[in-house]
Amino acid sequence: MTLLSVEDLSVLIRRPGHEVAALSGVHLHVEAGEVVGLVGESGGGKSMVARSVVGLLPAGARATGRVLFDGADVLTMDPAALQAHRGRGAALCFQNPRGALSPTRTVGAQLTDRLRTHRGMDRDRAREVAAELFESVGIRSPRRRLDAYPHELSGGMAQRVMISLATGCAPGLLIADEPTTGLDVTLTGEILNRFRAAANTEGRGVLLISHDLASIAQVCDRVVVLYAGTVVESGPAAQVLGEPAHPYTRALLRSVPDLGGRPVTATPGAMPLLREPPAACPFAPRCAHATGECAAGRPEPAALAADWTAACFHPQTAPLAGTGTRIAERRERASGGGAEPQVVARVRDAHVVYRGRFGGAGHHALRGVSLSVAAGEAVGVVGESGCGKSTLARLMLGLVAPASGGVELAGRPLAEVRGRELRRLRTRAQLVFQDPIGSLSPRRTVADAIAEPLRAAGVGPAERAERVAKALDRMELDRSMLTRRPHELSGGQAQRVGIARALVGEPDLIVFDEPTSALDVTVQAQILEVIAGVARDSARGSVFISHDLATVRGFCDRVVVLYLGRIVEEGPVEQVFGDPRHPYTRALLSGAPSLGDGFAGPRVELTRDLEEAEAGGGCPLAPRCPFATPECREGEPELLAYGGMPGRVACRRVDEIPALLERL
Amino acid sequence: MRVLRFLLRRLLQLLPVLLGVVVLTFLLVRVLPGDPIRTILGPNATAEDAAAARARYGLDQPVWRQFLDYLGGLVTGDLGTSIQSGAPVAGELAVRIGPTLELVVIALALALVVATALGIWSARRAGRFGDHTVRIAALVGNSLPEFWLGLVLVLLGYSVLGWAPAPSGRVDPDTDLSLLTGADLLDAALTGNGPAFVSALHHLMLPVLTLAIVIVAPLLRSVRASALEVLASEAYAAAEAHGLRGRLLLRGYLLRATLVRLPALAALVFGFAIGSTVLIEYVFSWQGFGQWALRGLLYRDYPVVQASVLLIALFYVVVFLIADVVHAALDPRVRIS
Repeated sequence: MTLLSVEDLSVLIRRPGHEVAALSGVHLHVEAGEVVGLVGESGGGKSMVARSVVGLLPAGARATGRVLFDGADVLTMDPAALQAHRGRGAALCFQNPRGALSPTRTVGAQLTDRLRTHRGMDRDRAREVAAELFESVGIRSPRRRLDAYPHELSGGMAQRVMISLATGCAPGLLIADEPTTGLDVTLTGEILNRFRAAANTEGRGVLLISHDLASIAQVCDRVVVLYAGTVVESGPAAQVLGEPAHPYTRALLRSVPDLGGRPVTATPGAMPLLREPPAACPFAPRCAHATGECAAGRPEPAALAADWTAACFHPQTAPLAGTGTRIAERRERASGGGAEPQVVARVRDAHVVYRGRFGGAGHHALRGVSLSVAAGEAVGVVGESGCGKSTLARLMLGLVAPASGGVELAGRPLAEVRGRELRRLRTRAQLVFQDPIGSLSPRRTVADAIAEPLRAAGVGPAERAERVAKALDRMELDRSMLTRRPHELSGGQAQRVGIARALVGEPDLIVFDEPTSALDVTVQAQILEVIAGVARDSARGSVFISHDLATVRGFCDRVVVLYLGRIVEEGPVEQVFGDPRHPYTRALLSGAPSLGDGFAGPRVELTRDLEEAEAGGGCPLAPRCPFATPECREGEPELLAYGGMPGRVACRRVDEIPALLERL
Repeated sequence: MRVLRFLLRRLLQLLPVLLGVVVLTFLLVRVLPGDPIRTILGPNATAEDAAAARARYGLDQPVWRQFLDYLGGLVTGDLGTSIQSGAPVAGELAVRIGPTLELVVIALALALVVATALGIWSARRAGRFGDHTVRIAALVGNSLPEFWLGLVLVLLGYSVLGWAPAPSGRVDPDTDLSLLTGADLLDAALTGNGPAFVSALHHLMLPVLTLAIVIVAPLLRSVRASALEVLASEAYAAAEAHGLRGRLLLRGYLLRATLVRLPALAALVFGFAIGSTVLIEYVFSWQGFGQWALRGLLYRDYPVVQASVLLIALFYVVVFLIADVVHAALDPRVRIS
């Protein structure tokens, strides 16, 4: 029997004044031992499907259709049956594990609560089993961790606890709602493999919800694509992600930057918020292949092959190819000037220490970083969270002062200027923030927000208005936006405003701090196109900070890999991505999810998580590095150029590593 | 051990605060218009009589001298002599504070229990009839003046129903209760005086109810708001989505998370209750601290006013200290250090 079968599920949510059609006629099924990916952008209805399966719909929601679990309809279950179904039949693994764990109860108690409820264990037995479960999800010293409160756990640890809560009662179906959001590449791979293992070895069905196509591509058997509450395409992962038929699936895939440097193609527009079940194809307004037929009626899912359907009148068969800007082409343009480009920002051997409270021992965020950015150059900065990426950004903008070392902007050391001059100098460097809406003042209009740097530079009102309008045009935003406030903007629009604000004063340097990580996939592609355009300006240098290696590859000339506040490798993009020489860079690339073949060279896996690696002297990576020798633990390696190749590496065994890799 | 160290350090930090209170009240009562000597001597006293009385209470000394004397007394536990009664202030205070504290502590405890139970009950039916009823009832209780509410309760409980004793005093004098702390219930329990205990409880009924009704509304609103927040939280949804049942959900996932913010508000309400007992004490002839302090203020009885303000300040800081410790005990994210 099918484990989970969702049949013609529609959910209408009553809101004050109107209704929202969250789901309209959704069909999908999950078999035991199978991993099904549920993908699409936010607002597509992914979480609503997950909530329907455990019968936990929001207030004011009306569901029709059937959600059959082992033959019983979840939507019509009585409270007792529903309680038994939740956790035991189908268990939900929440998106934000820190938030989903009760802050005032130990994680051990939260797990034993579930074990005692569903598996009828007594207190001691439940504690025993809880420790075993913790161990099985990779938590070290599980007995001690049982008495920890959620705030004492790191993000990765909290996610493991969440998985143990969901799998603890041996549910037939495991639903994971964006389980890897906010986790580093190394952890993402491990967590996803746990879900794959749950299907393979324990025979569970797994419904994996994600907006991150690249990461789930490797673990899913089948994929279901949702758009505006409807299933637009579903089928085997290889087909749907490899040769997608529905234009929306194709748009999604083309929006994802790839490690291989495949250019990103943006699709204009955004997902509509439907007030009623759609009568026409909901994607038609954004679709390049739409005809009159598409606006007149809604296409039914049609079979393209066994188990592969697409709800489209014009399913596409052409191979998926991007038409975006080629990297090489841009590089030529950047180096077209001939003369040595001027350096716009330079960091010299900077150390940054955040002091602890009351002058206690602080956190050493940057340990001797040197970096220079030339006009017309785009530098990518990558690394796991906590490696000092954001501190480097703040340093270059003069927002934190280095404990030692120096920062120069436009040829002038920041430490030597004061007062008005410093304020003027600061306008030469601008930041684009991660949270597009949060970084705009909620009470100021778009026009005010964009004009901010000009006001700081003392530009008169008439010229200000003119330059704001020009910046807005460059971002392809309508002039009517000028009077709006941030809450009236979508994420993509707000980020365009943020970029316009950074651009308007014609700064020498723009720092992008994870500018797309808070955005949906297709919007992300739109913004990446805008940023690529900005990075092409020859008068300006840009720094692009990201934990996502693929986005950096798209349009950066040079890339810097940070690890625990140190640069471990830097060099031209092709060099670093094509033939990484530092084991850490190689491990990052190996772990990075990819829709294509991913990283081609020999792969490296780090032996431990960042948080579990005990600090010692010597090379910072030594505790995690598979190639570490006792020598590595003795002194910190210097960042040096090796063997006449471009770029520099901080590793003692650079010369030996190719041989070591072959032996792996 | 860490808690003890924390308490010790906080108590030391209180000293400058209390010193500030002492200085301020000392100056303020003397700035107030009115002369305590005139009020005790009456209209027919001569200037010589007044001068003699002034000398007796040390009021002829320069202000700095008076202050130093007062401060010296404080260190040895001498709060001065009441100008009105001529008796030591410390003795009067000791007799007066017990009954009031007893009234306020019991009323606050009752209000906290009721607020927690009703607040959570109400939050779980948010927007439904029961929820609205509870909220409106609490609001009405909060809006009634306490003396009027006290009178109505006396009318109902004593005159009409006859359940409560007459509003005159705190314990039946026939029970021969010996005075230890001034808190009659505690005294009766300590001396094992059964009839006095029952009588004290009986007499406490209406004043406690009055005060509890007045202070329950803000506590209830706070509990309800926190409970709504917890109920809407992802953590609670996760517990529900994993099929945990009613009682476990309530005890493990709702109650403690809801009560986290209550201690700070309860401390504030405690301070308010100490102040608002004056009228309730009048209605029930309670002979408590509030009445005594008010009379001291009316007659410009400097030592009495100074002592009562100092005592209220001491209550405030100690209660907030207790609230901080309770908060830290409830919320594992809070560290006391």
